Amino acid sequence: MTTITHQSLTDAGVYRDLSLQGVDAGMVKKLYRFMLRLRQCEEALSREYHPADEMRCPVHFCIGQEAVPAALNVLMREKDYLFCHHRSHGYYLAKDAPMRELFAELYGKKTGANGGIAGSQDVSSPAHNFFSGAILAGAAAISVGAALGAQMQKESIVTVAGFGESAMDEGILWEAVNYAALCKLPVVFVCENNKYSVFSPQLKRQITDNLSARVASFGVKSVALFGNDVIKVHAAIKNAIGEALAGHGPWFIEAYTYRWCGHYGPESDDIIGYRTEAEIEAWKANCPIALLEEAMKKKGLLTDTEKAEMLRQINAEIADSFQFAKTSDFPNITNWREVNLSSSSPRADELLADIDFIEPEFDVHQAVKQAKGY
Amino acid sequence: MSIRQSNRQKGIKGQLKMESALYPSPKKSARPISSPAVQKLTYAEALQQATNQAMELDERVFLMGQLVDYRGGVFGTTTGLSEKFGTSRVRDFPVAESVMTSTAIGAAIVGMRPVLVHTRLDFMIYSMDALVNWLSLWRFKSNGKSSLPVTIRAIVGKGWGQGPQHSKSLHAWFAHIPGLRVAMPVTPFDAKGLLLESIFGENPTIIIEHRSLFSLTEDVPEAPYRIRFGRARIRRSGRDLTLVAIGAMVPIALRAAEMLAARSIDVEVLDPRTVSPIDADAICQSVMKTGRLVVADPAWQSLSVAAEVIALVSEKMGDRLRANPLRICYPDSHTPMSSTLEKEYYPDESSMAEAISSWFRR
Repeated sequence: MTTITHQSLTDAGVYRDLSLQGVDAGMVKKLYRFMLRLRQCEEALSREYHPADEMRCPVHFCIGQEAVPAALNVLMREKDYLFCHHRSHGYYLAKDAPMRELFAELYGKKTGANGGIAGSQDVSSPAHNFFSGAILAGAAAISVGAALGAQMQKESIVTVAGFGESAMDEGILWEAVNYAALCKLPVVFVCENNKYSVFSPQLKRQITDNLSARVASFGVKSVALFGNDVIKVHAAIKNAIGEALAGHGPWFIEAYTYRWCGHYGPESDDIIGYRTEAEIEAWKANCPIALLEEAMKKKGLLTDTEKAEMLRQINAEIADSFQFAKTSDFPNITNWREVNLSSSSPRADELLADIDFIEPEFDVHQAVKQAKGY
Repeated sequence: MSIRQSNRQKGIKGQLKMESALYPSPKKSARPISSPAVQKLTYAEALQQATNQAMELDERVFLMGQLVDYRGGVFGTTTGLSEKFGTSRVRDFPVAESVMTSTAIGAAIVGMRPVLVHTRLDFMIYSMDALVNWLSLWRFKSNGKSSLPVTIRAIVGKGWGQGPQHSKSLHAWFAHIPGLRVAMPVTPFDAKGLLLESIFGENPTIIIEHRSLFSLTEDVPEAPYRIRFGRARIRRSGRDLTLVAIGAMVPIALRAAEMLAARSIDVEVLDPRTVSPIDADAICQSVMKTGRLVVADPAWQSLSVAAEVIALVSEKMGDRLRANPLRICYPDSHTPMSSTLEKEYYPDESSMAEAISSWFRR
């Protein structure tokens, strides 16, 4: 098998290997509907983002990167944990967190997923075991702890960490991979390799692409694949989750993909010419949704009427979410302390005694001295 | 002078009842005790006992750190725990301080109560991203829906040539960050109560332990008990000046106070016990009585907790001060190794008494 690189994928032209052979039709429809919904959602948010400027926070759109979140949506259960990076919307929806609350969060409203405190790049939904964050490798490192907790509790729970190849410039991710392998933790690392850290291409920051080969040397089973083939992505993650839950330790999946829009916001940020029009067009020709749609139509799994009905439902949900977000109230924090620190301590109240009166003998003439050694 | 005597003078019952503005009306614990059975423990043994009891009380409590599962444990604070609870709950961790803190965060998200140990605080600096960008703001950015009961024990060296990478306390850094609590217990009694309060509280906490205190001994209640954050203790009562002493400065301050008493300067020594939150009310009440303020802080002087204490007193009652406040800290320099330089660098009771005396008589 030839090694996948960004160069090899763009050189190969239009992708022709997406196969629905032996794949459950219902599951394929779910994957398709999720990707369509995510794309519509991101495009609608893009249209509203500027010039209205009512969403006053940095938003990193994931148009072109719908396949990984779609596979996670189909595979992850409510009790599983998902941690991801700042390009968060796909992952948020993957855990079935409500679209209304996502939109309200972007608008900085009280009804947002985090009461308008976090915004797009820090959004979470604790009730859905979903968390994100903007410091690239941080959330992936935290995922190792969630997996450890599940392992210690002997719960059949899998944790998935979604991050980009830029997160692997940061050392903590390698510490995380090492510890997950060492303890055979039930965690799946999904690296969306989209080639760029803002404007900087991977090969300007790392000696090769193909992070999966490097991770394999840590004793972690790993695979590199074309990340816009949602069927392949689904199969790889499904296998990885199964192995993690069976106690066989972590998997690392490197899904090569591409963001169509700029790093931040809906507009192109190619002012400095960091990527070519030909490269963008090559990836648009390999749109994850179009690739699946073509295969589905060939197999008679999708008609134009069905697609139109899906779009009608999705667009109604999007319109409802905008309405909800725009008409919600702005938040009002009166107690800054309480939102940072909990003032209640139910577990301590239950387990610990209050010492009302104590006279400890403490002789101040005792030696206070650093022990020899360290 | 023992704490028993100083407590009698002050009346400790009244002191503990004093309401703090930070924790207005704490809920009573289910098991209040007034005459607890006690045993003599060292500071290290008190920490070991707190950890042992916490792990007995709740199987979700676990310990992580380098060498925690070795015979002897971390300076006697983890002794016997791996034999009793196993190496899954007493986890020797790779020398990967960053991901150790991230691991604790993740474990807390799924309901565990991790306790981390750093044999020297200086190593913990590798985990500043996990601390500042994730742990401290987790509750905030979840809008109060997700809290992280993570306890981080960080040990600070002093003397025996610890040098610049084994001696930093950095409590001012941590106390500056919203969403973190910082405790600096000095006595075995406080060490046990504050560690248990941290483990079974809902907030991330850093406990800074000065290595030189580990052999201090006193009577410690056997039962698992709590000491609430933001509650200072008057360690010695006095009329002439308030000496706020932090962490390792407390024993030095108490001895300096005895020396000053011989020179007819009556010093009140206040131990805040926690620097975030800090008991501003108790400090101000004491200064209201004495009219003078000295802060002894085991850290660099500039932008220190000492500076913060002086600022908060000045804001609330600067016009009641009868003299300019005084800071007794370390020089704004990294720590030297050579023992002669250490003597210059660290204040002791004589230099502290001298500094206070000349300031007082000015």
